[in-house]
Amino acid sequence: MIRKIFPKISLNISYLLLILLLAVTGMAMAQGHGPLYGLQTPTLAKGGVDLNVASMSLSTEDETSYMLRYLFSYGITEDLQINLTTPTMIERLGDAPRTRGNSNMPANGDIEASLWYRFFSNAFGVGKRFESTAIVGVSAPTDDVRGQVNVGNSVHAAISTGYASRTWYGWIGGGYQYYFKKGGEQLGDLPYASAVVGYRPNIFMGDYPKPDWRIFIESLAEFPGDNKFEGQMDFTDSRSTKILVGPSFLGLYGAWGISFGAMFPVVQDLTLGAVKERYRLAINLSYWL
Amino acid sequence: MRNIFRIMMIGLFGIGTASGQITKVDQEVYGMDCAPCAYGLERGLKKMDGLQEVRVSLNDGKAYMGLAAENGLKLRSIQEEVKKNGFSAKKAEVTLIGNATKEDGQWYIETANERFSVSQDTPKALLQKLTVGTATISGTVQDEEDDNLSGQWSIVLTKIE
Repeated sequence: MIRKIFPKISLNISYLLLILLLAVTGMAMAQGHGPLYGLQTPTLAKGGVDLNVASMSLSTEDETSYMLRYLFSYGITEDLQINLTTPTMIERLGDAPRTRGNSNMPANGDIEASLWYRFFSNAFGVGKRFESTAIVGVSAPTDDVRGQVNVGNSVHAAISTGYASRTWYGWIGGGYQYYFKKGGEQLGDLPYASAVVGYRPNIFMGDYPKPDWRIFIESLAEFPGDNKFEGQMDFTDSRSTKILVGPSFLGLYGAWGISFGAMFPVVQDLTLGAVKERYRLAINLSYWL
Repeated sequence: MRNIFRIMMIGLFGIGTASGQITKVDQEVYGMDCAPCAYGLERGLKKMDGLQEVRVSLNDGKAYMGLAAENGLKLRSIQEEVKKNGFSAKKAEVTLIGNATKEDGQWYIETANERFSVSQDTPKALLQKLTVGTATISGTVQDEEDDNLSGQWSIVLTKIE
């Protein structure tokens, strides 16, 4: 199984890098300075601008998607941030699992606008702080049908809390995405939770402006609900359970940041018709204006 | 006419000197953990009028600032910039030229824009050296609530020049 997966992953990483390179040559970019997949808390400075481009891939048993995502973020205040993300789909999945790309990027081809509000922040030492952030967002799909189901607009809300220091990081959070009905059909909703632990080794404790690297172990638990069709039985209580775990790396230098990582499913308790995943890959480049 | 102009200029220059200014600030910053955080703070501080040099250290949790010879910069503005970047401004080590006064046994040092109340924690030997009039001093400005900065500070003197 592992031998079957790894050659394909190497190939996909090459694709992702190529796609990212093509995108980078045309624009500046960025994302937060936390985990790649899990919910996080940092918000931009007042008046701060963050541009990101991410290259993402999701592989199921039968097919693999490739997507570029652009994210524009602006700090209205030091605690309030708006985001807008748009996708360029290179390869869509015919039958896409319900998931999110990360805390401010949908995994599927949705355009999303979101608002982050850091409602609690306690900086209590050099480099140390506790903080909590709430996220609300609205999405519009760029595809009409996803897995033979009409795709409607959706809303997303999440909350996360975490600790940051110069050495250790940790975030936990949970979120919920709800798709509206379209043409008598409705994509299943998505409650999810995430937990992330981060560490910066001593070797990367060089002071600013030296490069700054850290590693994260990220985990996601997703509980996608079944799709609903008008005139058919309502399986409201029927949900899949997926737990994914994987490493990610974040490198920062001045105004630039790069993160990359992978997630692998460790639990997939799926309902009938749900799609089995093999892995997720992502690379993200950030630029803080 | 020329003499009147000279007298006016001397008068204006004199007022400027007497009003005083901060010349150096080492500002302690809590909650700053990453390179882009330091970059953002450094860039924000560099945009402020009156700052000549800025260096931000993540490991020290400090922003080191040298101010221009003539500046109207307030410590309050520096701490507000820190807050704007999402961090918390704590104690600051400052050097300033100000006008020292004594009211009801309490020493104050005033710059053009702010007032520093000399803390009772200042060593007595230093307090005895303080005289009314222009003084160049260094000291540690105590932490004030980030949301409630008034431009009134408490300072523990460490040096009088």
